[in-house]
Amino acid sequence: MSQPPERYPLHLWIVEENHPLVAAWQARMLARRLHFSLADQTALATAVLEVARNIVRYAGRGEVIIRPYDDGVEVVARDAGPGIASVELALTDGYSTGHSLGLGLPGAKRLMSTFEIETAPGAGTLITMRKFPRAR
Amino acid sequence: MMNFSSIQKLDNLLLVSVPRDLVDDEVIQLRRDVLNAIRQYKSQIILLDFSRVDICDSFFGRFIYGTSQMTRLMGAKVIISGLQDAVIETMVELGMTLPDVDAVLDLDDALALSRSLRSAAVPPLAAGQDDDE
Ligand SMILES: Nc1ncnc2c1ncn2[C@@H]1O[C@H](COP(=O)(O)OP(=O)(O)OP(=O)(O)O)[C@@H](O)[C@H]1O
Ligand SMILES: [Mg+2]
Repeated sequence: MSQPPERYPLHLWIVEENHPLVAAWQARMLARRLHFSLADQTALATAVLEVARNIVRYAGRGEVIIRPYDDGVEVVARDAGPGIASVELALTDGYSTGHSLGLGLPGAKRLMSTFEIETAPGAGTLITMRKFPRAR
Repeated sequence: MMNFSSIQKLDNLLLVSVPRDLVDDEVIQLRRDVLNAIRQYKSQIILLDFSRVDICDSFFGRFIYGTSQMTRLMGAKVIISGLQDAVIETMVELGMTLPDVDAVLDLDDALALSRSLRSAAVPPLAAGQDDDE
């Protein structure tokens, strides 16, 4: 049932279009192991999917690292892509340079318990986010 | 194994079973298939069934939104159904409220809606427009 803890941290390359789906699934698996509610599992998996799809779309390639953190899950998403000029704008609902809905980053921030982003133009993007199960 | 969606005609509904995982190419293909099927069957309601989907991120949101726009231009209407509770909760938190898209709980409700539409004999174009108010 429970897998060996040395499995984590889990490093996942995000290179191909289906890799974000794999990362989201892995995050859900860890959350399930930690007895997250279905809603919390889904929130975490969705946030992972958002940041990982951004890596594919805007940076081309990168990495997602998933590990337990206290009673929750920590996810690091990093790439060496173009970086983000204005984090404030990128975290605004509806802002998108990719002709999309612009919900990914602000949505991921809302879905997670903590969300930090380190980025600069030309310096890639590093997102560290954690999800702790909500009291039921 | 690829996760093919299926499109079926059901009454005057077009039932589109949305695959669990979607990537760009598949979205484009799925939309084309939907448009072809609308033309072929003259369907007025396109039911996007999400019961297989357990994560609905903004990419899905874009898919739903884009499909509903295209469908509207063909005089038909997209309705979504089968969203799981946890998925609904996440969509709302994500900010994906899809104000222009109607939803029904399940296939039964969709069929009832489709029948009421048909008995009202609304011409397809009017049916696509009257959801603006
Ligand atoms: N890893 C990244 N590298 C470079 N730029 C990024 C990265 N992630 C996000 N961005 C920038 O931040 C903007 C906002 O991202 P966000 O995910 O919120 O919206 P989106 O991807 O444009 O649309 P959606 O996620 O709703 O489909 C993007 O349009 C892009 O300009
Ligand atoms: Mg995005």
